[in-house]
Amino acid sequence: MQLKYGVISVDDHIQEPPDLWTQRLSKNRWGDRIPHMERAGDGTERWVVDGQLLLDGRAGRAGALMADRNCEPSHWEDVPPAAYMPLERLKAMDSAGIDYSVLYPTVAGLAGETFGRLEDPELELACVQAYNDWLIDEWAGASDRFIPQCIVPVGPIEATVTEIKRAIAKGHRGVVFPSLPMHLRSVPHVSGPEYDPVWTICEELNVPVCLHAGASSELQYEPFAGINSALGRSPERGDAAGFQCLRYLSLFLSRVLLRHPRLRIVLAESALSWGMLYMEWADHQFDHDGLAREGYGLKPSEMFHRQCFLTSWFDDVAPFSGYVGAENILWSTNFPLATSSWPRTEETIARCFRNVPAEDREKVLWKNAASLYRLQAD
Amino acid sequence: MLDPRIVYYGRRMEIKYGLISADSHAAFDRDDFTRRMSASKWQNRIPRVVEVEDNGRRVHRWTVYDGRPYQESVCNCPALMGDPFPTYPERWEEVPRTAYDPRERLKALDSDRVDAEVLFPNPPGGNYFEFGDAAFELDVVRAYNDALGEWSRISDRYLPVAILPYLSEPKTIAGEIARAVSVGHRGVNVLGQMPKSLPHLTDPRWDPVWSVCQELGVPIHFHGSAGLRAGASVRKWSGYTPRQAHSASTATSAVTPAQIIPQLIFSGVTERFPRLKCVFAEAGIGGLNYVLAACDHEWECRHLWTEGIVTRPSETVRRQMYVNFWFEAEGIKLRHHIGIDNIMWESDFPHVASFYPRSWESIERVVDGVPPEDRRKLLYENALRVYGAAATVSGEIS
Repeated sequence: MQLKYGVISVDDHIQEPPDLWTQRLSKNRWGDRIPHMERAGDGTERWVVDGQLLLDGRAGRAGALMADRNCEPSHWEDVPPAAYMPLERLKAMDSAGIDYSVLYPTVAGLAGETFGRLEDPELELACVQAYNDWLIDEWAGASDRFIPQCIVPVGPIEATVTEIKRAIAKGHRGVVFPSLPMHLRSVPHVSGPEYDPVWTICEELNVPVCLHAGASSELQYEPFAGINSALGRSPERGDAAGFQCLRYLSLFLSRVLLRHPRLRIVLAESALSWGMLYMEWADHQFDHDGLAREGYGLKPSEMFHRQCFLTSWFDDVAPFSGYVGAENILWSTNFPLATSSWPRTEETIARCFRNVPAEDREKVLWKNAASLYRLQAD
Repeated sequence: MLDPRIVYYGRRMEIKYGLISADSHAAFDRDDFTRRMSASKWQNRIPRVVEVEDNGRRVHRWTVYDGRPYQESVCNCPALMGDPFPTYPERWEEVPRTAYDPRERLKALDSDRVDAEVLFPNPPGGNYFEFGDAAFELDVVRAYNDALGEWSRISDRYLPVAILPYLSEPKTIAGEIARAVSVGHRGVNVLGQMPKSLPHLTDPRWDPVWSVCQELGVPIHFHGSAGLRAGASVRKWSGYTPRQAHSASTATSAVTPAQIIPQLIFSGVTERFPRLKCVFAEAGIGGLNYVLAACDHEWECRHLWTEGIVTRPSETVRRQMYVNFWFEAEGIKLRHHIGIDNIMWESDFPHVASFYPRSWESIERVVDGVPPEDRRKLLYENALRVYGAAATVSGEIS
């Protein structure tokens, strides 16, 4: 590991190119069900997989790189190269002062959820494997400053486990798991013991499970149709947080963390300001509902401190780091989504880290991430 | 001293204990609706208590609109039922009068050393009488608002919150709000997300509702999960014990401010109604930290002042949003970050979250180390201001 800037961004998104799946999946076997771009009646280009329209009918999602960040690209040629070309991405990282970037998908779902909606698990697996192969070949192969994370099929569980093993062996460093798989198609509830083999393999392989916001469209509070898209997209921040909060409690209550004490969970795109509430809420509710009587050895906050991480990109660290714990906070830029701090990443970091001791600042900006993703000190 | 900018209602309330609950629940007497609604017009649709069979026991349940009796207890009042906690009455005879009798209840307020309480619904009340029958809805809402309005005439320690007839024309709804305020209501309880059959919460169609609330100076309230479908749609795991399931279900309340405030701000409702006060009950206060940071962030990075949202969202929040605490010691440490003038205490009495009859014990833990000036704001001064309640404060209160 070489640090030039002292920042590891743990939540960025790559934009998948139009030929990613068409090149890797058998046209004979899957035909038009392969994820691909098509031209709509109005001449715009959009992503389609097995009849599902993706990215709200846009060609990509890269608001931070657009001239007007409220307008997502409607043709592939409008997608800025830093969204999908590794070498261009490295330049953007240099200009923003980012050493390493942990990668999440876009077309495959900001939370890795897209293919979980496919009813055909074989097509799901083929799409997932193509993404996982491509990310290693094109991005991890281009620079070790990219930290690749695999996506997974949500079922059957044996397929999930097998794909995690395969992907980690290929070089992936984390597992992007759509946190409410039962909202995607008919699979067991994520709090159930059916998923234990998944958590076990992630413990054994020492890779974090990353639960990114936005894994279920059912949790979105649709804005009033009469306002424009810039205003309409802004309330999504509330949905993202809400979803993370609901998920947070279930992690503790379901005893998943008790059964898997070495499992590490990243609540990606969770924010710190919100994290404090849900930590305190969970402990209080745990106590008020008398759950200590039901055989938990640890309080929710104790499980959190042992195993979980929040990520932030815009909120002040100092008010929250004491209670949340500087060891449990990771930083990100959320590049290149519209909500990203880019291109004012350094300015944003300076503002967010006011009054934060140097030691905590280092933990949050890179040390915690370096340890979680096992970047070796040179 | 009275603030000349605030509309004050009623008599001067006496603050003896220095504590106002901004979220409690008033239960209904079993004849509260039958004696207020026309029997010839509505017959068995009127909310009433019936005896039904439940696992071999004869129990009492509310029924409304001649529908299937409610599955929940005839009175949600575990804080009054003793151990094992929580216990719910199965028969009407078991319901403590304190829950539904406003005179009896004053004794409970004194024993818990609470000066006044803002009153939200208990069964069969709710946010919404959803039967698709606008005429019935309007009548039952009026009966509800009349019944609780009476509480405020029995004692100025009760600050009831009215409910709305959503199926009526906005003009009619606004009229009912004005009527409810004239019979003693101090605020309006609103769904955080409208049912699919109704216009979106932030559709200008509802503007007459916000307008009358702003003019009368009565806050709108989003209580608990406030009808958000988002929270309700998270599939519950069948493997939970009842205690676990309850804990899991509470999280839907915690997300209410973060889901509703951005909708109100970015749709322009708060720009159009800058003096409309919005209270988030039973959602905690820590969520406001997130709302402040996240809304400002979106506003800045998307240049939303160019889209008609001219006020910085954090200024809007400080100007017109209020949140309630009951357990958040960490949240209270950040009271100045959240907004010292935007936080009120709540008890949730007599519901399951309540610390009754030991409210002060929990308060001392939560506000430990908070200086007197801030304590007064959190425990009663902010509530007096938000509800426009004139008060005489006893000299003993520091």
